[in-house]
Amino acid sequence: MTAQDAPSDDALLCAYAAGDTAAARELMERLAPRVLRLAQRLLQDRAEAEDVTQEAMLRLWQIAPKWVPGGAQPSTWLHRVAVNLATDRLRRRRSVALDSIAEPDDPAPAVVEGMIEADRQRALDEALALLPDRQRAAVVLRHLEGLGNPDIAAAMGIGVEAVESLTARGKRRLTELLSGRRNELGYDR
Amino acid sequence: MTERDTSDRNAPANAPATAPTDAFGDDMLEALFAEARAAQAPALPDALSARMMADAAAALAPPPASHPNWWARLRLALADIGGAPGLAGVSAAGLAGVWIGFSGSGGTGALLTQFWQGAATVSPSVSEWVETDPLTDDSSTLWALMSGEIE
Repeated sequence: MTAQDAPSDDALLCAYAAGDTAAARELMERLAPRVLRLAQRLLQDRAEAEDVTQEAMLRLWQIAPKWVPGGAQPSTWLHRVAVNLATDRLRRRRSVALDSIAEPDDPAPAVVEGMIEADRQRALDEALALLPDRQRAAVVLRHLEGLGNPDIAAAMGIGVEAVESLTARGKRRLTELLSGRRNELGYDR
Repeated sequence: MTERDTSDRNAPANAPATAPTDAFGDDMLEALFAEARAAQAPALPDALSARMMADAAAALAPPPASHPNWWARLRLALADIGGAPGLAGVSAAGLAGVWIGFSGSGGTGALLTQFWQGAATVSPSVSEWVETDPLTDDSSTLWALMSGEIE
């Protein structure tokens, strides 16, 4: 089956609502990995990211019978749900005492000259983790997930101008956080 | 640092156009973003996939009928009394009760009177029967009676 022949997300969701569990599996394999990666980037916690992914997909299953094809894309809807679930968890995290928060797996910045790509991505994740929640969500959705500003605005429940402001401030903060690590990240070689 | 991000409307107007050589530039950040976008999404763990498919199957299952309609409830009630035959029996008993009620059989006092009057006509009377009762002599007589020796 070519990409053109592949059923749309809408069609798969409607087929699932009609009782086709194979359609559910295909939809899950198509959408859930990106949701998991999004949740992982927003939460910086694998177990929580998996929980958010499962919860977001469950809500997609539950809304399937009422889904109107041709409206919002299931992927966009799912991103919005995942962002909401993740930001809810981030809010709860802030209410937890700081000394009860587990240390990250490897808090020390990598210092190896000629850092490989995976290490650069880890540096990016570490910097993203230091952004305020809404800035991080906007930057992740815009620059890592490749969503357009209107989709991000819909996902976050804010206006397009607010998205532009958040992404701009987020990018500026990221460059500040990564300043001084230019050589470390291997961009001068 | 190369050029400032012109979309950054929050940048201070007097920010320097150049930056120290060890600064992290927008081009580097964009390169990092590009690498992150190109990175393959992580494979779904098997356990997570299984949980999500279980959720999908459960969400498809019809919910239990917690509020059956009146016809279903009537059928359930009929089943408790034996179905249609049971209903016929109950109906017959009810109709019989109504018929008895309207047939004018009088009060229970009249019934008792009729009963005792009938009893008074039985011969011999209870008191006469007791006086001539051969079974009260001894148990051997009773045993002989039971064994058929006494007609």
